[in-house]
Amino acid sequence: MPVCPVVTARFATYVARDTESHAMPLRYTYPPYPVGWVSQDLLRGYIEGDDPITSKPLMQEMVDALTQPLTEDEKNPKVVKRPERPRFLKKDTVKNYKRMFIENGWTDGMPIELPTEEKVAEMLTGTDHPPDEVVGMMSVTTHEERYEYTVEKVAINAVMAGARPEHFPVILALAASQEPSMPSSTTSFGRMVVVNGPIRNQININCAAGAFSPFNFANSVIGRAYTLMSFNFGNAKIGENFTASFGNVTNYNNMFAGENEEESPWEPLHVEKGFKPEESTVSLFRGWDINHLGMGTPDGTAERMAEAMNGMTSMIPGGTFILDPLTAKNLKDKEGFNTKEDFRKWLSEQIKPNKSPFPMRPMMISLVVVGGEWNPMFTTTDFVYTQTVSIDKWIPKEGVRLDDKPIRMPAPVVCKDGGCGIR
Amino acid sequence: MVEDQVLDNVLDPMGQPSGIFGRVSDPENKNTGVVLDPYLQPTQDLTSMEGQLMAPRLDSLDGKVIYLVETGFHGAKDFMNHAADWFARNMPEVKIESRSTQGAIFTDDPALWAEIEEKGDAAILGVGG
Repeated sequence: MPVCPVVTARFATYVARDTESHAMPLRYTYPPYPVGWVSQDLLRGYIEGDDPITSKPLMQEMVDALTQPLTEDEKNPKVVKRPERPRFLKKDTVKNYKRMFIENGWTDGMPIELPTEEKVAEMLTGTDHPPDEVVGMMSVTTHEERYEYTVEKVAINAVMAGARPEHFPVILALAASQEPSMPSSTTSFGRMVVVNGPIRNQININCAAGAFSPFNFANSVIGRAYTLMSFNFGNAKIGENFTASFGNVTNYNNMFAGENEEESPWEPLHVEKGFKPEESTVSLFRGWDINHLGMGTPDGTAERMAEAMNGMTSMIPGGTFILDPLTAKNLKDKEGFNTKEDFRKWLSEQIKPNKSPFPMRPMMISLVVVGGEWNPMFTTTDFVYTQTVSIDKWIPKEGVRLDDKPIRMPAPVVCKDGGCGIR
Repeated sequence: MVEDQVLDNVLDPMGQPSGIFGRVSDPENKNTGVVLDPYLQPTQDLTSMEGQLMAPRLDSLDGKVIYLVETGFHGAKDFMNHAADWFARNMPEVKIESRSTQGAIFTDDPALWAEIEEKGDAAILGVGG
Protein backbone atom coordinates (compact mmCIF):
# COMPACT_ATOMS: atom_id res chain seq x y z
CA MET A 1 0.00 0.00 0.00
CA PRO A 2 1.36 3.47 -0.81
CA VAL A 3 2.51 5.32 2.27
CA CYS A 4 3.76 8.87 2.72
CA PRO A 5 5.75 9.40 5.91
CA VAL A 6 5.79 12.97 7.21
CA VAL A 7 8.86 14.09 9.14
CA THR A 8 9.81 17.61 10.15
CA ALA A 9 12.49 19.27 8.04
CA ARG A 10 14.88 19.28 11.03
CA PHE A 11 15.15 15.50 10.65
CA ALA A 12 15.58 15.32 6.88
CA THR A 13 19.24 14.27 7.11
CA TYR A 14 18.41 11.81 9.88
CA VAL A 15 15.86 9.92 7.79
CA ALA A 16 17.98 10.22 4.63
CA ARG A 17 20.68 8.23 6.45
CA ASP A 18 18.09 5.56 7.18
CA THR A 19 16.88 5.44 3.62
CA GLU A 20 20.40 4.84 2.39
CA SER A 21 21.39 2.43 5.14
CA HIS A 22 18.37 0.21 4.77
CA ALA A 23 18.13 0.45 0.98
CA MET A 24 14.57 1.50 1.67
CA PRO A 25 13.54 4.50 -0.40
CA LEU A 26 10.55 6.29 1.06
CA ARG A 27 8.85 9.42 -0.18
CA TYR A 28 9.13 11.67 2.81
CA THR A 29 7.38 15.00 3.08
CA TYR A 30 8.95 17.60 5.34
CA PRO A 31 6.90 20.30 7.06
CA PRO A 32 8.86 23.04 8.82
CA TYR A 33 10.09 22.47 12.35
CA PRO A 34 8.71 22.39 14.99
CA VAL A 35 5.23 20.96 14.82
CA GLY A 36 4.75 20.71 18.56
CA TRP A 37 4.09 23.66 20.87
CA VAL A 38 3.16 26.02 18.02
CA SER A 39 -0.06 27.91 17.25
CA GLN A 40 -2.86 26.52 15.13
CA ASP A 41 -2.34 29.40 12.71
CA LEU A 42 1.27 28.40 12.21
CA LEU A 43 0.33 24.76 11.62
CA ARG A 44 -2.25 25.84 9.09
CA GLY A 45 0.46 27.90 7.43
CA TYR A 46 2.65 24.80 7.20
CA ILE A 47 -0.19 22.94 5.48
CA GLU A 48 -0.80 25.73 3.00
CA GLY A 49 2.91 26.39 2.46
CA ASP A 50 5.93 24.68 0.95
CA ASP A 51 8.19 21.85 2.03
CA PRO A 52 11.35 23.78 3.03
CA ILE A 53 13.58 20.96 1.78
CA THR A 54 12.10 20.63 -1.72
CA SER A 55 10.37 24.05 -2.04
CA LYS A 56 7.28 22.25 -3.35
CA PRO A 57 3.73 22.77 -1.98
CA LEU A 58 3.56 20.48 1.04
CA MET A 59 0.14 18.89 0.58
CA GLN A 60 0.53 18.45 -3.17
CA GLU A 61 3.81 16.69 -2.38
CA MET A 62 1.91 14.23 -0.17
CA VAL A 63 -0.59 13.59 -2.94
CA ASP A 64 2.24 13.08 -5.43
CA ALA A 65 4.02 10.73 -3.03
CA LEU A 66 1.00 8.44 -3.17
CA THR A 67 0.24 8.77 -6.88
CA GLN A 68 3.38 9.42 -8.95
CA PRO A 69 4.80 6.23 -10.55
CA LEU A 70 8.00 4.83 -9.07
CA THR A 71 11.22 6.07 -10.65
CA GLU A 72 13.88 3.68 -11.94
CA ASP A 73 16.02 4.35 -8.85
CA GLU A 74 13.06 3.61 -6.61
CA LYS A 75 12.46 0.37 -8.46
CA ASN A 76 16.08 -0.68 -7.92
CA PRO A 77 17.13 0.23 -4.39
CA LYS A 78 20.78 -0.51 -3.71
CA VAL A 79 22.12 -2.03 -0.54
CA VAL A 80 25.11 0.06 0.51
CA LYS A 81 27.73 -1.83 2.48
CA ARG A 82 30.14 0.31 4.40
CA PRO A 83 33.72 -0.82 3.74
CA GLU A 84 35.77 -2.42 6.48
CA ARG A 85 38.03 0.14 8.07
CA PRO A 86 41.80 -0.38 7.87
CA ARG A 87 43.63 -0.98 11.16
CA PHE A 88 46.10 1.88 10.66
CA LEU A 89 45.48 5.44 9.58
CA LYS A 90 47.51 6.80 6.68
CA LYS A 91 51.00 8.01 7.53
CA ASP A 92 51.05 11.65 8.62
CA THR A 93 52.63 14.15 10.98
CA VAL A 94 51.73 14.48 14.66
CA LYS A 95 50.36 17.94 13.98
CA ASN A 96 48.10 16.69 11.20
CA TYR A 97 46.90 13.72 13.24
CA LYS A 98 45.85 16.03 16.05
CA ARG A 99 43.83 18.06 13.60
CA MET A 100 42.45 14.93 11.91
CA PHE A 101 41.12 13.43 15.15
CA ILE A 102 39.28 16.62 16.01
CA GLU A 103 37.98 17.35 12.52
CA ASN A 104 36.74 13.78 12.01
CA GLY A 105 34.68 13.98 15.21
CA TRP A 106 36.67 11.22 16.92
CA THR A 107 37.20 13.23 20.11
CA ASP A 108 35.51 15.64 22.50
CA GLY A 109 37.71 18.45 21.16
CA MET A 110 40.14 18.39 24.04
CA PRO A 111 43.72 17.15 23.56
CA ILE A 112 44.19 13.41 23.23
CA GLU A 113 47.04 10.94 23.41
CA LEU A 114 47.62 9.69 19.86
CA PRO A 115 46.88 5.93 19.79
CA THR A 116 50.15 4.65 18.36
CA GLU A 117 50.72 0.91 18.14
CA GLU A 118 53.13 1.05 21.09
CA LYS A 119 50.76 2.92 23.37
CA VAL A 120 47.88 0.65 22.47
CA ALA A 121 50.06 -2.41 23.10
CA GLU A 122 50.84 -1.03 26.54
CA MET A 123 47.14 -0.47 27.24
CA LEU A 124 46.45 -4.07 26.23
CA THR A 125 48.62 -5.26 29.13
CA GLY A 126 45.70 -4.15 31.32
CA THR A 127 43.76 -7.30 30.40
CA ASP A 128 44.43 -10.94 29.45
CA HIS A 129 41.85 -10.87 26.70
CA PRO A 130 43.21 -11.05 23.14
CA PRO A 131 43.17 -7.83 21.07
CA ASP A 132 40.92 -9.33 18.40
CA GLU A 133 38.22 -10.50 20.81
CA VAL A 134 34.90 -8.86 19.96
CA VAL A 135 33.55 -6.91 22.94
CA GLY A 136 30.23 -5.77 21.47
CA MET A 137 28.35 -3.45 19.16
CA MET A 138 26.97 0.01 19.66
CA SER A 139 24.93 2.76 18.04
CA VAL A 140 23.77 6.02 19.58
CA THR A 141 20.45 5.43 17.81
CA THR A 142 18.01 2.58 18.21
CA HIS A 143 17.86 1.77 14.52
CA GLU A 144 21.10 2.54 12.66
CA GLU A 145 23.90 0.15 11.79
CA ARG A 146 25.86 -0.72 14.89
CA TYR A 147 29.63 -0.67 14.92
CA GLU A 148 31.47 -3.68 16.24
CA TYR A 149 34.50 -3.24 18.43
CA THR A 150 37.28 -5.45 19.69
CA VAL A 151 39.49 -5.31 22.77
CA GLU A 152 42.06 -3.45 20.65
CA LYS A 153 39.51 -0.84 19.56
CA VAL A 154 38.60 -0.24 23.19
CA ALA A 155 42.30 0.11 24.00
CA ILE A 156 42.71 2.72 21.26
CA ASN A 157 39.97 4.86 22.77
CA ALA A 158 41.34 4.31 26.27
CA VAL A 159 44.74 5.62 25.13
CA MET A 160 43.09 8.64 23.50
CA ALA A 161 41.31 9.46 26.77
CA GLY A 162 44.62 9.46 28.63
CA ALA A 163 43.93 6.28 30.60
CA ARG A 164 46.52 3.84 31.95
CA PRO A 165 46.40 0.02 31.84
CA GLU A 166 45.05 -0.05 35.42
CA HIS A 167 41.88 1.67 34.16
CA PHE A 168 41.42 -0.65 31.20
CA PRO A 169 39.23 -3.34 32.86
CA VAL A 170 36.66 -0.70 33.85
CA ILE A 171 36.69 0.78 30.35
CA LEU A 172 36.22 -2.69 28.86
CA ALA A 173 33.25 -3.29 31.17
CA LEU A 174 31.70 -0.03 29.98
CA ALA A 175 32.23 -1.13 26.38
CA ALA A 176 30.72 -4.54 27.19
CA SER A 177 27.51 -2.81 28.31
CA GLN A 178 26.93 -2.03 24.62
CA GLU A 179 25.04 1.01 25.88
CA PRO A 180 26.28 4.33 24.46
CA SER A 181 27.00 6.94 27.11
CA MET A 182 24.83 9.45 25.27
CA PRO A 183 21.95 7.86 23.35
CA SER A 184 20.64 10.16 20.64
CA SER A 185 17.54 12.09 21.64
CA THR A 186 16.35 15.64 21.12
CA THR A 187 15.91 15.65 24.90
CA SER A 188 19.70 15.39 25.44
CA PHE A 189 20.36 12.36 27.61
CA GLY A 190 22.87 12.48 30.42
CA ARG A 191 24.63 9.62 32.14
CA MET A 192 25.88 8.60 35.56
CA VAL A 193 28.35 5.75 36.11
CA VAL A 194 28.94 4.18 39.52
CA VAL A 195 31.69 1.69 40.28
CA ASN A 196 31.48 -0.80 43.14
CA GLY A 197 33.84 -3.38 44.56
CA PRO A 198 37.54 -3.69 45.30
CA ILE A 199 38.78 -2.09 42.09
CA ARG A 200 37.67 1.31 43.41
CA ASN A 201 40.48 1.28 45.94
CA GLN A 202 42.98 -0.58 43.74
CA ILE A 203 42.96 2.14 41.08
CA ASN A 204 42.01 5.02 43.36
CA ILE A 205 38.55 5.82 42.04
CA ASN A 206 37.13 8.68 44.05
CA CYS A 207 33.97 7.83 45.96
CA ALA A 208 34.27 10.52 48.61
CA ALA A 209 34.90 14.28 48.68
CA GLY A 210 34.41 15.86 45.28
CA ALA A 211 33.81 12.50 43.60
CA PHE A 212 31.85 14.04 40.74
CA SER A 213 34.28 16.95 40.33
CA PRO A 214 37.49 16.86 38.24
CA PHE A 215 39.89 16.08 41.07
CA ASN A 216 40.66 12.44 40.34
CA PHE A 217 42.64 10.85 37.54
CA ALA A 218 40.67 7.60 37.30
CA ASN A 219 37.27 9.30 37.42
CA SER A 220 38.30 11.75 34.70
CA VAL A 221 39.93 9.45 32.18
CA ILE A 222 37.58 6.47 32.51
CA GLY A 223 34.54 8.72 32.24
CA ARG A 224 36.05 10.41 29.22
CA ALA A 225 36.89 7.10 27.54
CA TYR A 226 33.21 6.16 27.73
CA THR A 227 32.32 9.30 25.77
CA LEU A 228 35.03 8.70 23.15
CA MET A 229 33.72 5.15 22.66
CA SER A 230 30.26 6.57 22.08
CA PHE A 231 31.65 8.76 19.30
CA ASN A 232 33.69 6.03 17.67
CA PHE A 233 31.62 2.89 18.31
CA GLY A 234 28.21 4.57 18.58
CA ASN A 235 29.04 6.60 15.45
CA ALA A 236 27.56 9.79 16.92
CA LYS A 237 27.40 12.56 14.32
CA ILE A 238 26.02 15.84 15.57
CA GLY A 239 23.16 17.17 13.43
CA GLU A 240 22.88 13.88 11.54
CA ASN A 241 22.08 11.04 13.89
CA PHE A 242 22.86 12.76 17.19
CA THR A 243 19.94 15.06 17.83
CA ALA A 244 20.45 16.51 21.32
CA SER A 245 18.97 19.98 21.30
CA PHE A 246 20.71 21.45 24.36
CA GLY A 247 23.29 18.74 24.80
CA ASN A 248 24.16 17.62 28.29
CA VAL A 249 27.22 18.61 30.29
CA THR A 250 27.45 15.13 31.81
CA ASN A 251 28.39 13.86 28.35
CA TYR A 252 31.97 15.02 29.00
CA ASN A 253 32.73 12.37 31.63
CA ASN A 254 29.39 10.82 32.45
CA MET A 255 29.33 11.62 36.18
CA PHE A 256 31.82 8.85 36.83
CA ALA A 257 32.43 7.97 40.49
CA GLY A 258 32.58 5.07 42.90
CA GLU A 259 30.05 4.32 45.61
CA ASN A 260 31.38 5.12 49.07
CA GLU A 261 30.83 1.59 50.35
CA GLU A 262 33.14 2.03 53.31
CA GLU A 263 31.04 4.85 54.77
CA SER A 264 27.65 3.63 53.62
CA PRO A 265 25.52 1.96 56.29
CA TRP A 266 23.69 -0.06 53.66
CA GLU A 267 24.63 -2.83 51.27
CA PRO A 268 26.45 -1.63 48.15
CA LEU A 269 24.61 -0.98 44.92
CA HIS A 270 26.12 -3.98 43.13
CA VAL A 271 25.09 -6.36 45.91
CA GLU A 272 21.54 -5.08 45.52
CA LYS A 273 21.83 -6.07 41.87
CA GLY A 274 22.89 -9.62 42.66
CA PHE A 275 26.68 -9.39 42.59
CA LYS A 276 28.99 -10.49 45.41
CA PRO A 277 30.59 -7.83 47.61
CA GLU A 278 34.06 -8.89 46.47
CA GLU A 279 33.15 -8.47 42.78
CA SER A 280 33.91 -5.23 40.97
CA THR A 281 31.18 -3.80 38.78
CA VAL A 282 30.11 -0.74 36.90
CA SER A 283 26.47 0.40 37.05
CA LEU A 284 24.83 2.70 34.52
CA PHE A 285 22.15 5.32 35.02
CA ARG A 286 20.49 7.34 32.28
CA GLY A 287 18.45 10.51 32.58
CA TRP A 288 18.88 14.24 32.18
CA ASP A 289 19.33 16.38 35.21
CA ILE A 290 20.42 16.91 38.75
CA ASN A 291 17.24 18.52 40.01
CA HIS A 292 17.62 19.49 43.61
CA LEU A 293 20.07 19.80 46.48
CA GLY A 294 18.54 19.00 49.84
CA MET A 295 19.75 18.75 53.38
CA GLY A 296 18.56 16.84 56.38
CA THR A 297 17.08 18.65 59.36
CA PRO A 298 16.86 17.76 63.05
CA ASP A 299 13.34 16.57 62.26
CA GLY A 300 14.60 14.10 59.73
CA THR A 301 15.86 13.70 56.22
CA ALA A 302 13.35 11.20 54.88
CA GLU A 303 10.47 13.67 54.82
CA ARG A 304 12.61 16.20 52.96
CA MET A 305 13.53 13.60 50.39
CA ALA A 306 9.90 12.63 49.90
CA GLU A 307 9.04 16.30 49.38
CA ALA A 308 11.80 16.62 46.79
CA MET A 309 10.61 13.50 45.03
CA ASN A 310 7.06 14.78 44.83
CA GLY A 311 8.30 18.06 43.40
CA MET A 312 10.20 16.47 40.54
CA THR A 313 9.20 16.56 36.92
CA SER A 314 10.67 14.07 34.52
CA MET A 315 9.92 12.28 31.29
CA ILE A 316 10.76 8.87 32.72
CA PRO A 317 8.95 7.66 35.81
CA GLY A 318 11.87 7.14 38.16
CA GLY A 319 14.92 8.72 39.64
CA THR A 320 18.03 8.36 41.74
CA PHE A 321 19.00 9.98 45.01
CA ILE A 322 22.70 10.58 45.57
CA LEU A 323 23.29 10.56 49.31
CA ASP A 324 26.25 11.83 51.26
CA PRO A 325 27.22 9.03 53.69
CA LEU A 326 26.11 11.25 56.58
CA THR A 327 22.62 11.34 55.13
CA ALA A 328 22.52 7.58 54.68
CA LYS A 329 23.76 7.07 58.25
CA ASN A 330 21.11 9.44 59.59
CA LEU A 331 18.42 7.61 57.69
CA LYS A 332 19.53 4.34 59.22
CA ASP A 333 20.57 5.33 62.72
CA LYS A 334 18.08 8.10 63.48
CA GLU A 335 15.13 7.24 61.29
CA GLY A 336 15.24 3.46 61.34
CA PHE A 337 15.64 2.61 57.68
CA ASN A 338 17.85 -0.42 58.08
CA THR A 339 18.16 -1.21 54.39
CA LYS A 340 17.94 0.66 51.11
CA GLU A 341 14.93 -1.48 50.32
CA ASP A 342 13.14 -0.36 53.52
CA PHE A 343 13.71 3.24 52.57
CA ARG A 344 12.76 2.77 48.93
CA LYS A 345 9.50 1.13 49.98
CA TRP A 346 8.72 3.96 52.39
CA LEU A 347 9.53 6.56 49.72
CA SER A 348 7.29 4.86 47.19
CA GLU A 349 4.44 4.99 49.72
CA GLN A 350 4.88 8.77 50.02
CA ILE A 351 4.37 9.41 46.34
CA LYS A 352 1.39 11.61 45.72
CA PRO A 353 -0.47 10.46 42.61
CA ASN A 354 -0.34 12.95 39.75
CA LYS A 355 2.25 15.04 41.60
CA SER A 356 5.43 13.13 40.93
CA PRO A 357 6.86 11.29 37.94
CA PHE A 358 7.82 8.42 40.23
CA PRO A 359 5.52 5.43 39.97
CA MET A 360 4.60 3.70 43.18
CA ARG A 361 7.20 1.03 42.54
CA PRO A 362 10.29 0.94 44.72
CA MET A 363 12.41 -0.51 41.91
CA MET A 364 12.29 2.77 40.01
CA ILE A 365 13.93 4.62 42.90
CA SER A 366 17.71 4.19 43.22
CA LEU A 367 19.88 5.19 46.16
CA VAL A 368 23.62 5.69 45.71
CA VAL A 369 25.96 6.72 48.52
CA VAL A 370 28.71 9.06 47.31
CA GLY A 371 30.51 11.88 49.04
CA GLY A 372 32.95 13.09 51.64
CA GLU A 373 30.82 13.60 54.74
CA TRP A 374 31.04 17.37 54.65
CA ASN A 375 27.34 17.75 55.37
CA PRO A 376 24.21 15.56 55.53
CA MET A 377 23.07 16.41 52.01
CA PHE A 378 21.36 14.69 49.14
CA THR A 379 20.80 15.47 45.50
CA THR A 380 17.85 14.37 43.44
CA THR A 381 18.35 13.26 39.87
CA ASP A 382 16.02 11.99 37.20
CA PHE A 383 18.47 9.24 36.31
CA VAL A 384 17.07 5.74 36.07
CA TYR A 385 19.16 2.63 36.55
CA THR A 386 19.78 0.62 33.40
CA GLN A 387 22.30 -2.16 34.07
CA THR A 388 25.30 -3.42 36.05
CA VAL A 389 28.27 -5.01 34.27
CA SER A 390 31.03 -7.12 35.85
CA ILE A 391 34.55 -5.69 35.68
CA ASP A 392 36.22 -8.85 37.03
CA LYS A 393 36.03 -10.62 33.69
CA TRP A 394 38.44 -8.09 32.24
CA ILE A 395 40.99 -7.98 35.10
CA PRO A 396 44.20 -9.94 34.41
CA LYS A 397 44.63 -13.21 36.34
CA GLU A 398 47.59 -11.68 38.12
CA GLY A 399 45.51 -8.71 39.20
CA VAL A 400 45.05 -5.13 38.12
CA ARG A 401 48.12 -4.05 36.17
CA LEU A 402 49.38 -1.01 38.07
CA ASP A 403 52.20 1.23 36.87
CA ASP A 404 55.41 1.04 38.91
CA LYS A 405 54.51 4.45 40.22
CA PRO A 406 50.78 4.95 39.60
CA ILE A 407 49.71 8.47 38.75
CA ARG A 408 47.58 9.97 41.51
CA MET A 409 46.11 13.47 41.79
CA PRO A 410 46.12 15.10 45.22
CA ALA A 411 43.86 13.03 47.45
CA PRO A 412 40.91 14.51 49.32
CA VAL A 413 41.49 15.20 52.98
CA VAL A 414 40.31 12.23 54.97
CA CYS A 415 38.54 12.72 58.25
CA LYS A 416 40.99 11.00 60.56
CA ASP A 417 38.74 10.51 63.58
CA GLY A 418 35.96 9.04 61.49
CA GLY A 419 33.43 11.44 62.96
CA CYS A 420 34.03 14.79 61.28
CA GLY A 421 32.41 16.39 64.33
CA ILE A 422 28.98 16.59 62.75
CA ARG A 423 27.69 13.04 62.88
CA MET B 1 56.56 13.71 20.24
CA VAL B 2 57.30 16.75 18.07
CA GLU B 3 54.63 18.27 15.89
CA ASP B 4 56.31 17.59 12.53
CA GLN B 5 57.31 14.01 13.37
CA VAL B 6 55.87 11.57 10.84
CA LEU B 7 54.09 8.52 12.26
CA ASP B 8 52.97 5.42 10.42
CA ASN B 9 51.60 3.45 13.35
CA VAL B 10 48.55 5.39 14.52
CA LEU B 11 45.50 3.17 14.86
CA ASP B 12 41.97 3.93 13.65
CA PRO B 13 39.64 4.59 16.62
CA MET B 14 36.37 3.79 14.86
CA GLY B 15 34.55 0.51 15.25
CA GLN B 16 33.90 -1.70 12.26
CA PRO B 17 30.55 -1.49 10.43
CA SER B 18 28.75 -4.65 11.51
CA GLY B 19 26.06 -4.80 8.85
CA ILE B 20 23.59 -5.26 11.69
CA PHE B 21 20.93 -2.64 12.26
CA GLY B 22 18.90 -1.71 15.27
CA ARG B 23 18.87 -3.02 18.77
CA VAL B 24 16.19 -4.75 20.74
CA SER B 25 15.72 -4.25 24.44
CA ASP B 26 15.82 -7.34 26.60
CA PRO B 27 12.15 -8.11 27.35
CA GLU B 28 13.15 -9.99 30.51
CA ASN B 29 14.93 -6.98 31.93
CA LYS B 30 12.66 -4.47 33.62
CA ASN B 31 15.25 -1.72 33.36
CA THR B 32 15.34 0.43 30.29
CA GLY B 33 18.26 0.50 27.89
CA VAL B 34 19.54 -3.04 28.38
CA VAL B 35 19.95 -4.69 25.02
CA LEU B 36 19.95 -8.32 24.19
CA ASP B 37 23.23 -9.84 23.12
CA PRO B 38 23.51 -8.56 19.56
CA TYR B 39 24.40 -11.98 18.27
CA LEU B 40 21.27 -13.54 19.73
CA GLN B 41 18.61 -10.99 18.95
CA PRO B 42 16.65 -10.67 15.75
CA THR B 43 18.52 -8.34 13.48
CA GLN B 44 18.48 -6.88 10.06
CA ASP B 45 21.73 -8.05 8.57
CA LEU B 46 23.29 -6.54 5.46
CA THR B 47 24.44 -9.98 4.34
CA SER B 48 20.83 -11.00 3.86
CA MET B 49 19.29 -7.61 3.23
CA GLU B 50 17.76 -6.79 -0.09
CA GLY B 51 16.52 -3.47 -1.35
CA GLN B 52 13.08 -2.65 -0.02
CA LEU B 53 10.65 -1.87 -2.84
CA MET B 54 7.92 0.66 -2.31
CA ALA B 55 4.39 -0.39 -3.11
CA PRO B 56 3.02 0.59 -6.53
CA ARG B 57 1.42 4.00 -6.45
CA LEU B 58 -2.24 4.79 -7.06
CA ASP B 59 -3.37 6.33 -10.35
CA SER B 60 -5.24 9.00 -8.43
CA LEU B 61 -6.79 9.54 -5.02
CA ASP B 62 -10.32 10.04 -6.40
CA GLY B 63 -12.74 7.98 -4.34
CA LYS B 64 -9.90 6.38 -2.39
CA VAL B 65 -9.74 5.88 1.38
CA ILE B 66 -6.67 7.61 2.82
CA TYR B 67 -5.74 7.08 6.44
CA LEU B 68 -4.15 10.03 8.22
CA VAL B 69 -2.29 8.51 11.16
CA GLU B 70 -0.77 10.62 13.91
CA THR B 71 1.94 8.75 15.74
CA GLY B 72 2.02 10.58 19.04
CA PHE B 73 4.63 13.28 18.76
CA HIS B 74 3.52 16.59 20.19
CA GLY B 75 1.58 18.59 17.62
CA ALA B 76 1.07 15.65 15.27
CA LYS B 77 -2.64 15.35 15.96
CA ASP B 78 -3.26 19.04 15.27
CA PHE B 79 -1.11 18.83 12.13
CA MET B 80 -3.10 15.88 10.83
CA ASN B 81 -6.38 17.65 11.63
CA HIS B 82 -5.27 20.54 9.44
CA ALA B 83 -4.23 18.07 6.74
CA ALA B 84 -7.70 16.47 6.89
CA ASP B 85 -9.23 19.93 6.58
CA TRP B 86 -7.06 20.61 3.51
CA PHE B 87 -8.31 17.42 1.84
CA ALA B 88 -11.92 18.34 2.65
CA ARG B 89 -11.47 21.75 1.03
CA ASN B 90 -9.25 20.84 -1.88
CA MET B 91 -9.96 17.17 -2.67
CA PRO B 92 -13.44 16.41 -1.33
CA GLU B 93 -13.57 13.27 -3.45
CA VAL B 94 -10.97 11.67 -1.16
CA LYS B 95 -12.36 9.82 1.87
CA ILE B 96 -10.21 10.60 4.89
CA GLU B 97 -9.99 8.39 7.97
CA SER B 98 -8.10 9.97 10.87
CA ARG B 99 -6.49 7.75 13.49
CA SER B 100 -4.01 7.92 16.36
CA THR B 101 -1.63 5.10 17.15
CA GLN B 102 -2.29 3.49 20.50
CA GLY B 103 0.16 3.62 23.37
CA ALA B 104 3.31 5.67 23.72
CA ILE B 105 5.45 7.13 20.96
CA PHE B 106 7.41 4.38 19.14
CA THR B 107 4.87 1.75 20.21
CA ASP B 108 3.79 -0.61 17.47
CA ASP B 109 0.08 -0.76 16.67
CA PRO B 110 -0.56 -3.95 14.67
CA ALA B 111 -4.35 -3.65 15.00
CA LEU B 112 -4.31 -0.28 13.26
CA TRP B 113 -2.01 -1.51 10.50
CA ALA B 114 -4.40 -4.44 9.93
CA GLU B 115 -7.37 -2.08 9.74
CA ILE B 116 -5.59 0.15 7.23
CA GLU B 117 -4.58 -2.82 5.14
CA GLU B 118 -8.17 -4.09 5.09
CA LYS B 119 -10.04 -0.84 4.60
CA GLY B 120 -7.61 1.70 3.22
CA ASP B 121 -6.01 2.49 -0.11
CA ALA B 122 -3.06 4.57 1.15
CA ALA B 123 -1.76 6.16 4.33
CA ILE B 124 -0.03 9.32 5.44
CA LEU B 125 1.90 8.85 8.72
CA GLY B 126 3.46 11.43 10.97
CA VAL B 127 4.67 13.69 12.19
CA GLY B 128 8.10 12.40 13.05
CA GLY B 129 10.47 14.65 14.94
